[in-house]
Amino acid sequence: MKKSVVWKLLALMALASMLVTACSGGAKPAATEAPASKKVTSTGYECPEPNPRVQVTSKELNLFVWTEYIPPDVQECFELVYGIKVNRDEYSANEEMYAKLSAGGTSYDLVQPTDYIVSLMVRQGLLQKLDKSKLTVMGNFDPNYLNLSFDPGNEYTIPYQAGTDAIVYNADKVKDPPKSWSDLWKPEYAGKMVFLDDSRATIGMVLLTLGYDVNTKDPAQLDQAKAKLKELVPGIKLFDSDSPKTALIAGDVDLGMTWTGEAFLAQQENPAITYVYPTEGAILWQDNYAIPKDAPHLDAAYAWLNYTMQGDLFWMMLRDFPYTNPNKAALDFAKTNHKDLYDAYMNSPITNTPAEDIKNGHRIDDVGDALPLYDQIWTEIKGGQ
Amino acid sequence: MLRRLREDKSIQGTFLITPTLVFMVGLLIIPLILTTIVSFGHRSADGGVIYAFSFDNYLRLIGYSTQCDNGASVCFDPLYAQIMWRSFSLAFNTTVLVILLAYPLAYFIARAHPIRRNTFLFLVLIPLWTNFVIRVYAWMMLLRKEGVINIVFGWIAGMLHIPFTPLEMLYTPGAVLVGMVYEFLPFMILPIYTSLEKIDNSLYEAAADLGANPFRTFLRVTLPLSMPGVVAGTILVFIPVMGTFIVSDLLGGRQVILVGNLIQRQFLDARDPTFGSAASLILMVLTLIVTYFYTRKFGFGEEIVV
Repeated sequence: MKKSVVWKLLALMALASMLVTACSGGAKPAATEAPASKKVTSTGYECPEPNPRVQVTSKELNLFVWTEYIPPDVQECFELVYGIKVNRDEYSANEEMYAKLSAGGTSYDLVQPTDYIVSLMVRQGLLQKLDKSKLTVMGNFDPNYLNLSFDPGNEYTIPYQAGTDAIVYNADKVKDPPKSWSDLWKPEYAGKMVFLDDSRATIGMVLLTLGYDVNTKDPAQLDQAKAKLKELVPGIKLFDSDSPKTALIAGDVDLGMTWTGEAFLAQQENPAITYVYPTEGAILWQDNYAIPKDAPHLDAAYAWLNYTMQGDLFWMMLRDFPYTNPNKAALDFAKTNHKDLYDAYMNSPITNTPAEDIKNGHRIDDVGDALPLYDQIWTEIKGGQ
Repeated sequence: MLRRLREDKSIQGTFLITPTLVFMVGLLIIPLILTTIVSFGHRSADGGVIYAFSFDNYLRLIGYSTQCDNGASVCFDPLYAQIMWRSFSLAFNTTVLVILLAYPLAYFIARAHPIRRNTFLFLVLIPLWTNFVIRVYAWMMLLRKEGVINIVFGWIAGMLHIPFTPLEMLYTPGAVLVGMVYEFLPFMILPIYTSLEKIDNSLYEAAADLGANPFRTFLRVTLPLSMPGVVAGTILVFIPVMGTFIVSDLLGGRQVILVGNLIQRQFLDARDPTFGSAASLILMVLTLIVTYFYTRKFGFGEEIVV
């Protein structure tokens, strides 16, 4: 008899969860009501016309992109203007995207690989060459973000957003702020630091303090880096690559290593949070668009690239995802139409990285055979006693 | 055809187990075989699998190393054994604490008035309605330096005029243990409750008639008869804790690597599926060995399972 009570409870739980799903499933915004002449998103944004409008026969577009990286208005405008349904899958690490693509059997039309994984994906034949004759937006980009070492001549990728990994600190709590990566070994910072849970970035930073290349494959240099990192680790309170700003804003940590967008948002929450480019040089990175080898909706993919990278649409990145923006047309559009966003972007050394810091920066690249060495160090510093 | 189905019990049986069988073979047996095959291979420069038959991955796991600090050609590197041991002791500590907390509660519920019993069981189950990860985030809110617990403590200290420095609770091993115990508590309470609740009241009366005091009754009657529940609960708690890493990542600040992290890293960051496969097989075998000896000593919690 008592057993039936447990069953009743379980049934009740199942029923409750079904109700919740039913409710959330029912509330789809009716976006197709907009008049044919003016396309307006659900937030009231009037979509610009594609320039030029291209012929698209596909009815769908499958995106595989970073989480929280495409403004909802942009996606909605594309759907309204072209009448194409956008399916969006998301990832939170390049490795996740790479693992899924290299396992095969996917049908994505666009992915957003970061620099270091591009060359690997090209070697593995996972990407197809871009047809430049179909890309009308190439002229929008700042040449500083084109033709980089990971994809010479931009045969496979076009830039999306860029940024840096550098030092962040809370000026209210840290009286003697760090100026270089090697300053982070100071005993007074111990127990107050957050670092990225990213073996390449964090070990790369240690290599820079030793004067070595961030992409070294030399086991002796990596051994020295391991020894030096072991001294730092007891002082690290938290490794976080998802949202290091949270612990900074909440006051659990006072300084550490983070990236452009996180630092910018943290500073908006608390103006005392400051971003410093270390004297050894920051780590530079760039996210890009690329088309997987077997993309089923090529015409829609090119239409997406051309339309969403237009200046009058891509400016929204300044509003929603403030990273370093390689799109000159978007910056120009913001300058005349959204002066406050443009000024905030240009005046912040976080997003508008000074030229000498870019020159001084280092780019992570794939290390092939040496990758297990990096992983071994990471496992050892976090797994040893 | 239909008539045969109606009459022949063995055909009925085959018919009924087919979905489960397809499921088990397709999603358990075949992947397990593939994992085993991959675990004997080695990594290509770009992180692919080169199929071979070598025990290198297993040797590496048990500590055989050719990169030695003292210049010897072969030495013992306890790194992976340490990671296994850390996961094992976390699982062990969690299980023991969960038993200590769950038993009195289950006992209380089982002996409560039947009307209230349902309410109590309901309360035990309610937290499970919320997603696992969200509940961990809730603990982060509580344990932060400027979180709920420190604010309340600071407020009390302020009223008593005692100087107060916020406690460092989040991102410590203690926080991980608290989170683990919290997450897995219901899975221990329910089986213990079920076995306690089945104990016939007349057994207690008989024990009292025969002159046993309440403590002795507990030791000689209640505890042995509720062991199936404890065993079932231990299996439900210990095995998942061995492989889990979300709680330790979020509440422990990713300062340590557990077996779960180690395996996940091999398939993503390290791009070494062969070593990852070997590590997951070793984890599975070790867990089976522990469970085997445990159930041999205490039984399988049969009265619960059947």
